[in-house]
Amino acid sequence: MGLSSDAPLLRAIDAVSGTAGRLAAVMAALLVLLVFGLVLARYGFGLGSVAMQEAVLWLHAGIFLLGLGMAFRHDRHVRVDVFSARWSARTRARVELAGIVLFLLPLCVFAVWISADYVAASWNAREGSRDPGGLPGWYLLKALIPLSAALLALQGIGQALRAARVAFPGEQPGA
Amino acid sequence: MSLADAQLLMLVLLLLGLFAGLASGFPVAFVLGGVALLFAGLGTALGLFDPSFLEAFPNRVFGVMTNETLVAVPLFVFMGVMLERSRIAEELLEAVAAMFGRRRGGLVVAVLLVGALLAASTGIVGATVVAMGLISLPTMLRNGYCPRLASGAICASGTLGQVIPPSIVLVLLGDQLGNAYQQAQLKQGLFAPDTVSVGDLFAGALLPGLGLVTLYLLYALWVAWRQPERAPAISEAVPRTRGQLLRAIVPALTLIVLVLGSILAGLATATEAAAVGAVGATVFAALYRRLDFRRLAEVSLETVKVTAMVFAILIGAALFSLVFRGYGGDDLVHQGLASLPGGVFGAMLVVMLLMFLLGFVLDFIEIVFVVVPIVAPVLLAMGVDPVWLGVMMAINLQTSFLTPPFGFALFYLRGVAPPSLPTAKIYRGVAPFIVLQLLMLGLVASFPGLATALPEWLYG
Repeated sequence: MGLSSDAPLLRAIDAVSGTAGRLAAVMAALLVLLVFGLVLARYGFGLGSVAMQEAVLWLHAGIFLLGLGMAFRHDRHVRVDVFSARWSARTRARVELAGIVLFLLPLCVFAVWISADYVAASWNAREGSRDPGGLPGWYLLKALIPLSAALLALQGIGQALRAARVAFPGEQPGA
Repeated sequence: MSLADAQLLMLVLLLLGLFAGLASGFPVAFVLGGVALLFAGLGTALGLFDPSFLEAFPNRVFGVMTNETLVAVPLFVFMGVMLERSRIAEELLEAVAAMFGRRRGGLVVAVLLVGALLAASTGIVGATVVAMGLISLPTMLRNGYCPRLASGAICASGTLGQVIPPSIVLVLLGDQLGNAYQQAQLKQGLFAPDTVSVGDLFAGALLPGLGLVTLYLLYALWVAWRQPERAPAISEAVPRTRGQLLRAIVPALTLIVLVLGSILAGLATATEAAAVGAVGATVFAALYRRLDFRRLAEVSLETVKVTAMVFAILIGAALFSLVFRGYGGDDLVHQGLASLPGGVFGAMLVVMLLMFLLGFVLDFIEIVFVVVPIVAPVLLAMGVDPVWLGVMMAINLQTSFLTPPFGFALFYLRGVAPPSLPTAKIYRGVAPFIVLQLLMLGLVASFPGLATALPEWLYG
């Protein structure tokens, strides 16, 4: 019993994912309002705005990119659990740990690395929308890609710590 | 071993690796991306893979971020979750069951009708199956309904949301097919290509979707007529007043008219209609005094989780298909399909068979994102009509929800069904409905007009 020494770290990680996820939830509610508002403006008053159309895309991108970590924390990513349903909790935890180390973390590192140049080029050019009347600061939108990967990696470390507790009980420092 | 042989070997290992990774139970999205990345690294080290294929990845992700069609996904999810959490969907089922329950076979007819109504207003499989499993399954079992018929009807009608527009499957499929269609035409030297929109697919899927409901209903009525002991009349249904009935049905009908009507009339895009539906569902929740800040926050958070799940698979599949292409997989599939005996018919048959079989182990999202971008350009270049292809794929994919062992609808029902109902009975119960779906698939295959006539009439 007792809290193991990594509990504060886990709490901090969950708090980061939770904050990003709640931010994404606000964006989801705003997305509904904004797209509805644009429909009203267009059909009611014949108004349109390129900047607002693009704001829709920013919200859309924010929702899933900022929500990845929270979805992982709450185990909402689809799994094929035909086989794993029959395994012991410890086996499942070991497989989970292997999956995080073998698949998830390399994937996140790759996403940060491969998008670094892509974002840097955009950032240096202070890239904005190509459409007249569009939003500036597209480099910030593109920067969401590595940010999202970093957030997911952070939650991945958290889930790995959780899995390790179940996979190797009694070997926890301070447990 | 030649380079081509070595690459072929790697392709086979890549697919085997994918299936092994999926079987581990690790999230599908990360397995798709992770396995692809491992094989890209291995192939680069062995000189069998050109890593510059991976450089397209950030641009692919950015393409998903700035795709206006895909904005419909979070909006439809929001609408469905709102209807579920505010218990509007639940009341609809209770009211319709009370209306029909006193007749023989009435409850199963109610389940099928409500499934179709919910399908046409939201299109989220999980919510519908869970709601109906919680509300009508216990009543049906308690009153001596055949457990197989009851569970089969709930699973099958819960999956109607995938075929009857508006549906998230059709949004995703429309996006992928639209890309494939442009690609196919550019290859043929058509630089002002025709487009296929989500609206076209919605219109195309309407008649086959309604046909499917009709087939289900005919089957249920036939069972009630020939084997009345399997679908008895029940007496415990509390009769409703006309006012209560109206109150329960009005939200669903209004949303169907608003969302589907505006798309089919060509007034709004799928994305715009989805926003109208999301606001409409919220307004009804407020009118029925089910909305407060906590519920709004809960619905928004749930929307984020479901949306993140869908797009994680989309991004993982994007990386997987880049690596698949890097190993020459696309060309191989292209040659394979083009050299099949029977031309277009043969190619179509193989693709449909492949999708049906994959449906046993994979879910529709993975199939849409992994298989469609690979096979659709080939089929479309052979002259297959994109709307017809999309509708065929949608009906075919619907079976993936019902085919054991990995059928979502089955999981959801298992999750809420009483332990006294054996899983085997659920599996056997869906079998007749899978047969009906295959029958519908055959009908649309034989009479493409079922899918293409309505969009042509509406949009010219």
